[in-house]
Amino acid sequence: MLTAGILVADDITYAGLLFGFFLLAIPIAIMRITKLGMERESLTAIFRMTVQLFLAGLFLTVIFDMNNPVLTLSWFIMMISFAAFESIQRQGMSFRYLYLPVLASFLFGNLLILLYINFFVIDLSNVFDARYFIPIGGILLGNSLSGNIIGVSNFYSNLKRNQNRYISSLSFGAKMHEALLPYLRSGLRSALKPAVGDISTIGIVHLPGMMTGQLIAGSTPMLAIKYQVAVMVGVYASTVTCVTLSIILTTYVCFDEYGILKERMFRKDSVIG
Amino acid sequence: MMASELIKYRDVGVSFNGSCLFSDFNLIINKGDKILLKGRSGTGKSTLLKILLGIIRTDEGDVYFRDRNVCSKTVWDIRKEIAYVSQDTDIGEGIVKDLVNDIFHYHNNHGMKYHNKRNSLLEYFELDKSLLYKRFEDLSGGEKQRICLIISILLGKDIFVLDEVTSALDPELKDKVVDYFLKNEDWTLFIVSHDDVWEREGTSMIYVDSGDSCGR
Repeated sequence: MLTAGILVADDITYAGLLFGFFLLAIPIAIMRITKLGMERESLTAIFRMTVQLFLAGLFLTVIFDMNNPVLTLSWFIMMISFAAFESIQRQGMSFRYLYLPVLASFLFGNLLILLYINFFVIDLSNVFDARYFIPIGGILLGNSLSGNIIGVSNFYSNLKRNQNRYISSLSFGAKMHEALLPYLRSGLRSALKPAVGDISTIGIVHLPGMMTGQLIAGSTPMLAIKYQVAVMVGVYASTVTCVTLSIILTTYVCFDEYGILKERMFRKDSVIG
Repeated sequence: MMASELIKYRDVGVSFNGSCLFSDFNLIINKGDKILLKGRSGTGKSTLLKILLGIIRTDEGDVYFRDRNVCSKTVWDIRKEIAYVSQDTDIGEGIVKDLVNDIFHYHNNHGMKYHNKRNSLLEYFELDKSLLYKRFEDLSGGEKQRICLIISILLGKDIFVLDEVTSALDPELKDKVVDYFLKNEDWTLFIVSHDDVWEREGTSMIYVDSGDSCGR
């Protein structure tokens, strides 16, 4: 559809969206037949997503209309706070001790890289322009969140499982950071492996969300790929930064002054161990 | 001659999950002493060693190393002076040679010449040099124990805290290990072992029994 010289995506009517939901008949039917028992879980998740997205849509409309740097930044910081919460929640670790270090890692790792992309790569006159700040920030955050969950829990579960190796290193003369280095490496490796895999199949196996969005919205393929390349590099940099910082900063609270891992850092229902 | 006091346990007690493991443990170790801790399993012998290294904290009493209380400030220096070999030989993974090299790349061990001594120790403890190119996790229990002992000797310290380090060795090798450690008169040894081979002239045996001390 061509309006006033710029391309915009075709609208989806609510009736159209309803047709979209009809697709759920397929998974529900399969679940019934196979007695999978995931109907409730799936429908709840889809309902939650729909509500969340509609709310986000409402908020974003306001934020985009006002395009006020303070408001945009506040919204992003709220997203970061939620990501930090989600990250610790999924690792089964203690909020009380870990929230601040993880929050700091997300803030530093994502915000600086986001500003860098907006300023140097996209060359925006207003680096806080909500149309760029929120979606690109969201992509960085989403990816570093999943990297963080994998990386940090790998680090601590490895340490917990191989406590003796760590203590042996200490007794063989390692300083704490030297004894922790192998675990940092393994944490980073586990967080980055999926990211590297994703990056190397982009363009062949799948077209990532951002590029798809731009293509549907009417961007030329070349413009869409330029954004995609820049964003993927940014995602990689922010994931590495966030995971590294999260691991380093959390060690300051997770170990006692004797250099021994504190048990109370793990919740009772922790998956780590 | 006054012996110089190196390690002192004063009224030390430890509880696990509220139940007493041992209490009122007292011991003085002088430089050059060879102390062998004996007692039934589960009486907290390993725990006593770990307390000295700051791996486990006491619930009662204090431990001193060179008249300094073992605490978060002193423990890092104490670890530098003591060669500790735990009964758990899982010290890492990967090629043995790299594992050893990594240890000698730690800041504290940097610049130590160890290659020649490493090779002669391998020979003494009847390990073939080809073992250096195997993966540590693939070694047998006895091989791992000997590698741990070799590393601890290469660190060049003179205070050894050894926790069941001969359990997986055959009798002939047990003797060789004990010979090696006992022949150095200057060395201070603090040993936990069920092996009788350590009970030789020159070693003092200390019996640990939790039953009595906790029953108060």
